[in-house]
Amino acid sequence: MIFFESVDKFYGSHRCLTRITAHVAKGEVVVICGPSGSGKTTLIRTVNGLEPIRSGRIVVNGQDVHAPKADINRLRREIGFVFQQFNLFPHMTVLDNVSLAPRKLRGLPREQAEEEARALLARVGLAEKANVYPGQLSGGQSQRVAIARALAMSPPVILFDEPTSALDPEMVGEVLAVMRDLAGSGITMVCVTHEMGFAREVADRVWFMDSGVILEDASPEEFFVAPRHPRARRFLADLRHA
Amino acid sequence: MGYTLDFGAILSGEHLRWLISGLRLTLELTLSSWVLALVLGVILVLLRSSGIKPAEWFVTAYVEVHQNVPLLVQVLFWYFAVPELLPEAGRIWLNERNSEFLLVMLALSFCFAAYMSEALRSGMRAIPQTQHEAGRALGFGYLRTMQYVVIPQAARLAIPPLINYSLLLFKNTSLAMAIGVHELTTQTRQIENDTFRTFEAFTVSTVLYLMISFVIMAGGALLERRIKREGR
Amino acid sequence: MLDILREYWLLFLVGQYPNGPLGGLVATLLVAICGLGLALPCAMAIALGRISPYMPVRIAAAFVVHTVRGTPFLMVIFWSYFGLPILLGRPINGFVTLVGALVLYESAYLAEAIRAGIEALPRGQREAARALGLNYWQTMGLVILPQALFNALPSLLTQFVSLIKETSLGYVISVNEFTFAAAQVNNQLLTKPVQVFSILALTFFAVCFTLTQTARRLERIVARRRNGMAKDGEPTALLATEPTP
Repeated sequence: MIFFESVDKFYGSHRCLTRITAHVAKGEVVVICGPSGSGKTTLIRTVNGLEPIRSGRIVVNGQDVHAPKADINRLRREIGFVFQQFNLFPHMTVLDNVSLAPRKLRGLPREQAEEEARALLARVGLAEKANVYPGQLSGGQSQRVAIARALAMSPPVILFDEPTSALDPEMVGEVLAVMRDLAGSGITMVCVTHEMGFAREVADRVWFMDSGVILEDASPEEFFVAPRHPRARRFLADLRHA
Repeated sequence: MGYTLDFGAILSGEHLRWLISGLRLTLELTLSSWVLALVLGVILVLLRSSGIKPAEWFVTAYVEVHQNVPLLVQVLFWYFAVPELLPEAGRIWLNERNSEFLLVMLALSFCFAAYMSEALRSGMRAIPQTQHEAGRALGFGYLRTMQYVVIPQAARLAIPPLINYSLLLFKNTSLAMAIGVHELTTQTRQIENDTFRTFEAFTVSTVLYLMISFVIMAGGALLERRIKREGR
Repeated sequence: MLDILREYWLLFLVGQYPNGPLGGLVATLLVAICGLGLALPCAMAIALGRISPYMPVRIAAAFVVHTVRGTPFLMVIFWSYFGLPILLGRPINGFVTLVGALVLYESAYLAEAIRAGIEALPRGQREAARALGLNYWQTMGLVILPQALFNALPSLLTQFVSLIKETSLGYVISVNEFTFAAAQVNNQLLTKPVQVFSILALTFFAVCFTLTQTARRLERIVARRRNGMAKDGEPTALLATEPTP
């Protein structure tokens, strides 16, 4: 579903992704973890072209995202993206946030788009918040709306960039529950997160990144029980002590 | 069509002399008004933070009036009305002199003093009270605390709007044309009347205005960058 | 002062109308409103140009803004006075000249207010819109500009006050507006300049001060709304609304 072929990225002269080669199969759930500054957020942002790359190829659903002739807007409709900071549109109601893309990009009539949006909001447990503005939601509720918005175009792939890092601890659970539910639905998921419990329980594979390199690509059982790389071992030990 | 540009008629002989004298008067007007406006502005700020209620009300009213009446109307008021308010001797004194220049300079100064005092005040208000307390806790008196702690920080914040107002002051010296001061805009119109070279005359004076404006903008940008480098 | 008002209030208010052209305070406000209405779309275009992803567009927009900001409004009026008839290919009256000058001049200032409104938005807003697959124009039209214009509302109103004040320069090219009407009355009376120009100044003050106060109230409302909305995203800086002469 997603192929990385020797992807390089630089910020100025700083190399932040080094020859990344990896792939995510259809329906797979991949969790990316690693210390901060390791390039995991950068990597996930290259998948829908929010970050340009220096060289290499990223193919999603058979299409090269960074090809010069690629219609990036069309490709992005097929790739859901959930931000750390939610980034809901504060001037629109929750319902408008979710139904915006289907109405403007798929040309759905308003009633149909809103009906679908209500169904998605029900799925994330927020049916009653449809007519509320984002400013009145808690962090956990905002992130669930953001997930519903990302799902509105029925993308085959959804990307999460640290979806629980900006939340108060008591709200992490509700968001993870929605993600767990999603993982069981057959959608392809790539998720940057520090929630190791979630990774252990839901992920098919775990990628460990450090200094712009994927150091380990393993099943959760292998990774959490017997990480091969010393830096992965240290990372897990630090997490346990924290 | 058939119109050929001829800057020679403007940039030579008598017309060039008119242009230069206009430019000189514009610069003199800018500089003298700027100095007076800044001095008055500082006085207004001090009055406003004096703790004397009537003085504070006066400054508030002063600022609102000067900001909410068009500058041209203020200039016309100074030119037509203010001399009427003076005693006989004052009017005679004005009539014997180059009073248009003086009156428009006063109008510009009094108006921009209001703007500049607001710029200074917003700079002062942005400095948290804790900075003041920290200075006092070290054992500095009120004035020393102002001198070493508050004013250097406030000046840093006030400089960008002050530069902006300096630019606006320079541009608005052109209003002096309305009462016949022979500054750059008036001279441009005279040359235009004399030569019928409208396009050329206005091009030359617009370029002159732009050059000085850009010097002010660039100087301001440079100053801002230096302040940013010094602090934090 | 009251007897002057009693005698000339109609002239102050509407000029020679209905026996001659509309003038006075009503003309001043009409010119200002037309100026604002026509300048706003131009300002939006320039603001988008200032933050365009294309360097040549950015440079061109910056050139326009800085050139206008460096030129006295009176010069802009003369350019409009001599230039617009050539551009349009036919003679124009004083009102059109004045409105044309206001549009040219204020577009640059309003553009900077709108740009500040856009730049105060968290970066995530644009990224979220692009991540959904919205193109540049959809992102701007549906997500960025509605928020930016709301945030810029107080600055825009303050700028409208400047616009009203700038219409007074119509006097210099003998446009029949409020200041010109006052000068006419002054010429008729000859001996009462203090009273006539006080009426002029006080009326301008009443109109502009009311709008300035409204802008300040609006600024507080906008700030409160934004703090409520800013829960997601970085804290947003308050837009400074500086008045200009």
